[in-house]
Amino acid sequence: MTEGPGSEMALTDQPMRSTGSIVHPFIAKLDGFVALSEAAKGALRQVSAGAQLIGPRIDLIREGDLPDGAILITEGIACRYKHRANGARQITAYLLPGDTCDLDFAPLREMDDAIATVSACRVVRIPAAALNELTANHPTIAQALRMTALVDKATLREWLLNIGSRSALERIAHLFCELFVRLQTVGLTVDGGYVLPMTQGDLADTAGLSSVHVNRSLQALRRLGVIDLKGKTLTILDWPRLKAIAEFKPNYLHLGERAVA
Amino acid sequence: MKIRVQPVQIATDSDDRESLLVFSDESLVAVLVRLSSLHGREAGRLFLEVGFGPLDSCVPLSFANLNEAEAWIRRSLR
Repeated sequence: MTEGPGSEMALTDQPMRSTGSIVHPFIAKLDGFVALSEAAKGALRQVSAGAQLIGPRIDLIREGDLPDGAILITEGIACRYKHRANGARQITAYLLPGDTCDLDFAPLREMDDAIATVSACRVVRIPAAALNELTANHPTIAQALRMTALVDKATLREWLLNIGSRSALERIAHLFCELFVRLQTVGLTVDGGYVLPMTQGDLADTAGLSSVHVNRSLQALRRLGVIDLKGKTLTILDWPRLKAIAEFKPNYLHLGERAVA
Repeated sequence: MKIRVQPVQIATDSDDRESLLVFSDESLVAVLVRLSSLHGREAGRLFLEVGFGPLDSCVPLSFANLNEAEAWIRRSLR
């Protein structure tokens, strides 16, 4: 079983590049929900400038901390998690490029969970005042951000279903489908695959499984010819079959026609 | 308490095929699986596939050998 930090995502001073075009993931994501004007896009560019480079496996905020800004990931992958006293960890969400969390953080006195980088990330902390100004000046942005909050909740419901009602193989297949669709909407899939910086331990803590069961599921998916996982690169070889195994319906992501068929 | 094990083949749909049924005073209390080379540096360890009653653990457990597994089982059943 291979454990250890995964930090193979490319980090440059430019927004992530894929399939030859420059994609600003935050704008791409919000523009997909509500068509944004050039002025609104400019405001988003401004608010997401000055992202800080953070190494892999670093807590961005811990349980009990006072939240001091909405977190926006512009590059890399982070996660939300909770720990039990015995050390058991449950990952409750992945934050991909363009994802924010706790936009309504202001009334919270303390965090009830933690957010940490999985790979190296570029992270922006948007203060409450900047966020208020952004949404007051640009109703389309406010509307798009409300959509992202609804999708976050819908995703959490889908993950509950995943853990409570799917087999080990189905859970892993479902997670791979979801990551593919979400990364594709921000232009971060290449040749039917993507960079997967999660370790098997991370996947286990996400899917409520042991690393042993994750390993067996990965072996089964490979044997079925559905995926190939080399290092940190996941390639989906048979998308219809992967979707069928997972019973994956991307409706909870509310992407409309942007969701891959 | 008398602990005995019975080797059986297990169908995990993976390379993990060797397992041990663990009995305490004739009741089945756990199933241990010998991890195959699929699991890298964990290969050869005994994984608690399932434990019943006090041996039910939500934290994944594996043991270096049968002695270690038996010591944990005795402690947990006490």
